[in-house]
Amino acid sequence: MNCSNWEREIASEVESSELEVHLMACESCREFADELEMNRTALGSLTVDAAALDAVRRNVLGEIRRDRRRSWIWPLVAAACVAIVSAALVLTRLENPELPRPVEFAKAPQLVEWTVQPRPVQHRHAATVAQREPLVVKMLTNDPDVIIVWLIDQKGE
Amino acid sequence: MWDVDSAELALAIEHVRLNARPGDPQAFEEIMRLHEKQVLNTALRLLGNLEDAQDVAQEVFLRLYRNLHKIPDVQEMGSWLYRVTVNLCHDAHRQRGRRRAEPLDGPEPVSAGADPEVIFARVERSRVVEMGLATLPEKERAAVVLRDVQGLSTREVAEILGSSEVTVRSQICVARGKLKKFTDRYLRKRV
Repeated sequence: MNCSNWEREIASEVESSELEVHLMACESCREFADELEMNRTALGSLTVDAAALDAVRRNVLGEIRRDRRRSWIWPLVAAACVAIVSAALVLTRLENPELPRPVEFAKAPQLVEWTVQPRPVQHRHAATVAQREPLVVKMLTNDPDVIIVWLIDQKGE
Repeated sequence: MWDVDSAELALAIEHVRLNARPGDPQAFEEIMRLHEKQVLNTALRLLGNLEDAQDVAQEVFLRLYRNLHKIPDVQEMGSWLYRVTVNLCHDAHRQRGRRRAEPLDGPEPVSAGADPEVIFARVERSRVVEMGLATLPEKERAAVVLRDVQGLSTREVAEILGSSEVTVRSQICVARGKLKKFTDRYLRKRV
């Protein structure tokens, strides 16, 4: 096995007695192993700035607090809407304790008779008589006992 | 299981989780403080950009907040966070790739004659290794970040990435080799 094979073993952290023996004998591989170890130590010492950590924490907690506010605002708005509608209904009930009865639409009165006295023509006396007699309009309603009689005198009253 | 003081931390998290009223931001803040370094550091090493990493970390914690009740126990929470972080970084990577292809600049090769003590200073190596990470393919980077930055075992990395241990071991091996070449290129030139 040549040194490049041994280097692969070293980089893979293979532990074997053969490797130990080779390392004792080979300065180049020993140097390789030392270099890797120094790099590992350097990698392990890489840290992050405390200010960078603070910034992340601040942002995350800020976002969480915003989330929490958002999470209870909508239920609150919904509850407020329900309360307003309920209050409006209660107030309406208080103002009109009895519910209005359903509206019944009566049938329109039926015109059954339309009597117009013929106007006498060219007779002065007759015209006078005719003028004295009122116009009569009779209207029947749904109730057979009720008849509307509409009298209109000469003045149209 | 994770790099933090596991037993004590597990108890603390479980306590917060069980006693937190649903959606209590204060209780959640405690959970965040316990995991934020893990999440942001992973995102930063995977994306190589602090602003994008912060966006991802923020989204990870918002998802945790909304899914807290679905995570059965503390052990699950750690791997859940890693999984979501890796997935979101993958999405961010794709979006960023479509949006703009950022050239990955390595450090300037340093001139000869500088003090070798300074060359191999840990800070300098960290900086170079960090840049080297950005040159790795996404899967290799994820494997090496979880293994070497976060200190997870190969089995845990495999579970998070949804790969076999053999695959992950191979990815880590290749990634370490590439990182070594990268650091050699930028550090050895100074000697």
